[in-house]
Amino acid sequence: MPRADVLVVGAGLAGLTAAIGLADAGAAVEVVARGHAATHWTSGGFDIAAPSGSATSSEGIDHLARRRGHPYAFLRRQVPGALDWLRHTLAGEGLDYAGAIDDPLRAVPSAIGGTRRAAILPTAQAAALAPWQAGERLVVCGPAGFKDFWPDAIVASLRRAAVWAGGDASDNRPARIDAVLVELPGLAGLRNLNALDLARLFDDPRWRGDAFEQMARAIERAGAHRGAGRIAFPAVLGLQDHAAAFDDASRVLPQALFEVPLVSPSIPGLRLYNALRAALRRRGGRMVIGEPVASVAVEGQRVRSVSMTAAVRERVIRTNGLVLATGGIAGGGLVGLADGRLVDPILDLPVEAPPPEQWLADDAFDPAGHPLEAAGIRTDGEMRPVDASGSVVLENVVVVGSTLAGQHYLSERCGDGVAIASGQRAAATLGAAKSGAAADPPRGDIAAPPAARRQRAGVRR
Amino acid sequence: MTIQDVVREASFGEVGLSADECLKCNVCNTVCPVMRVTDLFPGPKYVGPQAQRFRLATTLPPQGPTTPRLTSPDATVDYCSGCGMCTTACPADVKIAEMNNRARASLRAGHPPKLRDWLLGQTDLVGRLGVATAPLANWSLHNRLFRWVVELVVGIHRKAPLPFFARQTLRSALKADRRGAIGRGAVATTEPPPDKAVVLFHGCAANYYEPHVAMAAIDVLRRNGYETIVPEQVCCGLPRISNGLYESARGRARKNVGSLADYARRGYRIVGTSTSCTHTLKAEYREMLDLDDDDATAVASATWDICEFLVDLHEDGRLDTRFGRLDATLPYHAPCQLRGHGIGLPALDLFALVPGLDAVDLDHDCCGVAGTYGLKKEKYDIAMAVGEPLFRKIRESAAPVAACDSETCRWQIAQATATPVKHPIEILAEAYAAGDRPEVQDQPALRR
Repeated sequence: MPRADVLVVGAGLAGLTAAIGLADAGAAVEVVARGHAATHWTSGGFDIAAPSGSATSSEGIDHLARRRGHPYAFLRRQVPGALDWLRHTLAGEGLDYAGAIDDPLRAVPSAIGGTRRAAILPTAQAAALAPWQAGERLVVCGPAGFKDFWPDAIVASLRRAAVWAGGDASDNRPARIDAVLVELPGLAGLRNLNALDLARLFDDPRWRGDAFEQMARAIERAGAHRGAGRIAFPAVLGLQDHAAAFDDASRVLPQALFEVPLVSPSIPGLRLYNALRAALRRRGGRMVIGEPVASVAVEGQRVRSVSMTAAVRERVIRTNGLVLATGGIAGGGLVGLADGRLVDPILDLPVEAPPPEQWLADDAFDPAGHPLEAAGIRTDGEMRPVDASGSVVLENVVVVGSTLAGQHYLSERCGDGVAIASGQRAAATLGAAKSGAAADPPRGDIAAPPAARRQRAGVRR
Repeated sequence: MTIQDVVREASFGEVGLSADECLKCNVCNTVCPVMRVTDLFPGPKYVGPQAQRFRLATTLPPQGPTTPRLTSPDATVDYCSGCGMCTTACPADVKIAEMNNRARASLRAGHPPKLRDWLLGQTDLVGRLGVATAPLANWSLHNRLFRWVVELVVGIHRKAPLPFFARQTLRSALKADRRGAIGRGAVATTEPPPDKAVVLFHGCAANYYEPHVAMAAIDVLRRNGYETIVPEQVCCGLPRISNGLYESARGRARKNVGSLADYARRGYRIVGTSTSCTHTLKAEYREMLDLDDDDATAVASATWDICEFLVDLHEDGRLDTRFGRLDATLPYHAPCQLRGHGIGLPALDLFALVPGLDAVDLDHDCCGVAGTYGLKKEKYDIAMAVGEPLFRKIRESAAPVAACDSETCRWQIAQATATPVKHPIEILAEAYAAGDRPEVQDQPALRR
C-alpha cells in the first residue's frame, strides 16, 4: 500500500498550514479531504483574536489565553512567529497581506452594510484598515446586475453611526458615503452574474482596463471623485492574475480601492487556497480532494494506516503520523448524533461538548458565543489528543484548527490564528517524531514505496 | 406504486436525495470547468441540487402518482459535460454530477434520441463498421469535405478529434495470436488459476482503435506472471449513459455482467486500460443504471484499472521493477474519470519507478472532451476552451510525448497539441523493453 510520512485529513487553513510545515521539514506529506473546505467560504483575511474589549490582536490573544481551556493558553507564543512564517510562504506564491497583530483592530465594511473588526487583511482589502481622515468619503461601487453586492442597501446601512461602533474609535468613520452603480462592459444579456464570472473577467487585462475606465467615469459622474476618499468594491478583482488586476485598479481609479469579501464562493478565500496549495505542491506535498476517510487502523496508541473511500475498494495509505484537520461542526469534523453525542467521525477521539439541551441556544450569534462553538477535542501542548484525565490517546496524531476544544472561533474571531499556530505546532510535533522514530521497513523487496519516493523525486506542477 | 416510490424514482434514488445535503456554498461552481469558459451553463449548483427541489416538487400531489417521468426545469443541464469535478469538490457529499447526468437523461426521456446522440452511443456498432471498412472509413473521417457534411447532417463538429480505426480488431488479432500469427503467447487459451491470470476488459477503444494499448497491457501483465483471459464482452455502455440512452446501456451492462460475474466469483481480477470503462463497471452500473444485484456487485468489486492493479502488485513486492532508462520529461494528464475511481494517481507512482523518467503532473481538471461531449457541434468550442490551459502546458513543455489514461482525452489532447499522447501502460512497456536491451546506448528516450 502507498505510504506517506504524514497524512493530513482536511484541506482548510489549519491542515494546509501543517502540511506545508511538514513538507518544509522534509516529510512526505499527503493531504486528503472529502471536499473543499472553509477557505472557500471565508474572507481571506486572518482573524487572529478580536474578543470584545481588546484593541489589538495581541491584546485579544492575551485575553483569550487567560480563558480556561482556550487553545491560546498554550499557543499564545506560537502565534506571531507562525503568522510571519505563513505570510512569508504566501508571499512566495504572490499573495501578500497587510497589517500586524499589534495594529489596532478596525471596523471594516462588509457586503451587507455592517462592519467587522480586522487587523490583518490581504493587500487588496487593506485600504479599509486606515483611519478615516477628516472629510474623507467612501464610495461603495458595485457592478449593475450583480446580486451579491447592492451598493444602495450597503450605503443605507453604513450611514448609521452605530454600524461603525466597535472599532478602535467608534466615532471614526467616513464623513460621507455614496453608492455608485457601474455598467461593466459586455455583461448585458449574460446569465446571472456571480463572483466567479466577474473574477475571471478581471483576470483579462484588456477587459479590466475598460472596466476600470467605466468605474472611474461612473464615480466621476456621481461627483464622488473629488477630495480624499476610498472605493469599496466587491472582492472580484481576478483569481489567477489578481495582483496585476489590483495594480491596474490603483493606477486608473481616482481613489484607493479596497475589496469587500462576499458570500461564498469567496474569491479572496479561493486565492488563499490556491496559494496554500501551490506552496504545498512546490515542496513536494501531495493532495487528493474527494476521497473521504473510510477507516483508520490503529495499533496500540499509533495510527498505522488510513483507508480512503473509493469507487469499489478502499485505498489504504500507510502512515507514520496523522494530522486531524477536519474542522468543527460546519466542516463536518464534529458530528452530532441523535442520541445527543458529538463525535469525531474519523478517529472517534474524546470530544468535549455541551449537553444536548444547550445545542439549540436561542441566539446563534450571541456576542458571548454559542455553547457548541467551544466543543471539540482537547490536546496537550504538542497538539496530541488527550482524554478527560489529560493522558495522550494517540501518540502519532495531532489535532489542529477549529476541531480544537475551548475556542469560540466566531465570537472571539480567533479561528485563523488558532489554525495557523496549531498547524505550525503540529508540524513541529510530527516532524520531530518523523526524524526520531525509524520508519517501518517496506514490505517485500521494494526499494522505496511509490508515494514517498515520488515526493522525493519532486513531481513538479 | 406508493407515493414514496414515486418520490424515490423522481428523485433519482440516493443520487437525487443527496441534494438534501447541499449547503448552497457554491464550491462546486468554483471547480466546474464548463462554467469557467461559457455563459451557456449556469453551473452545477443551479442545474443540480438547486433544480432538484423542483424536480421533486412536481411529482408530489396534486399531480399524483401517475405523473410521468419528470423533466428538469432547466434545460441548460445539457451543457454539463459530466466530468465529475463538482462531486469531487463538494464538502457535503452531494452527488452533483450523477444528479445532472440523470437530469439530462430525463430531459430526453420519451423522445426518440437525436441521430447524433444515438450514433455517439453506438461505439461498438460504429467500431465494427469502421474496422471492416478501415481504409475508406479513416479517409472519410479525416477528410474535410466529408466532415463538413457530417457536421451539417449529424451534428458532430468538423474539427472534433476522431480516432483512426484499426485494420483489425483486438479480438481478431488475439484470435490470430492463438494460432501463433503474432507469437506473443500471452493470451490464455486454457484458463490458469486466478493468481496466474487476469480478465481483460478491453472496451471499444482498444478493440476498434488502439489494439496496441491492450497489447502493451498484455505484455506487461505477462512479464509480471499474469496471462490474460479475454472473455466475451460488449461496449461498457458509458457512451449510451452519457447520451441519455439508459435502457440500451442497461442491455449492454447486463450482457457484460453476465459474462464477467462468473470470473469475478472465481476470484479473477478484471483489468482494463480504459479508465472510463472500468469506472463504468465499478460505479456507474450501480449509480446510473441501478444495477446492484449480486452479479453486478461481484463484477464491480473485481474490477481494476491497469495502473491501479500494477501499483497493488508493487505494494506486495511482486512487480517486476527492472525498467530500463527512459531519459525524458513526460507531461501527464490525470483524466477526470480517473478521479471518480478514488485511487489516487497510480500512473505517477509507476512512472516514478522508471529511471530517468521525469513525469510531470499537469494538474489540470479536464481536457474538455469528457467522452463524447466535445465531439458535438454546439459543444466543441467549449471543450477546446476547457482544455486550453492543459494544451498550453503541453505545447510549452515541448515534450515529444505526453501520457494520459483515458482514450478520448488522449485523442483530444493529441489533436489540440499535435503531440502524441500515450497510455501509461505503453510507456511502461517501453521501459521494460529498454531494460531488455541496455546495450543500446543512443536509443531515443521515448518513441513518438
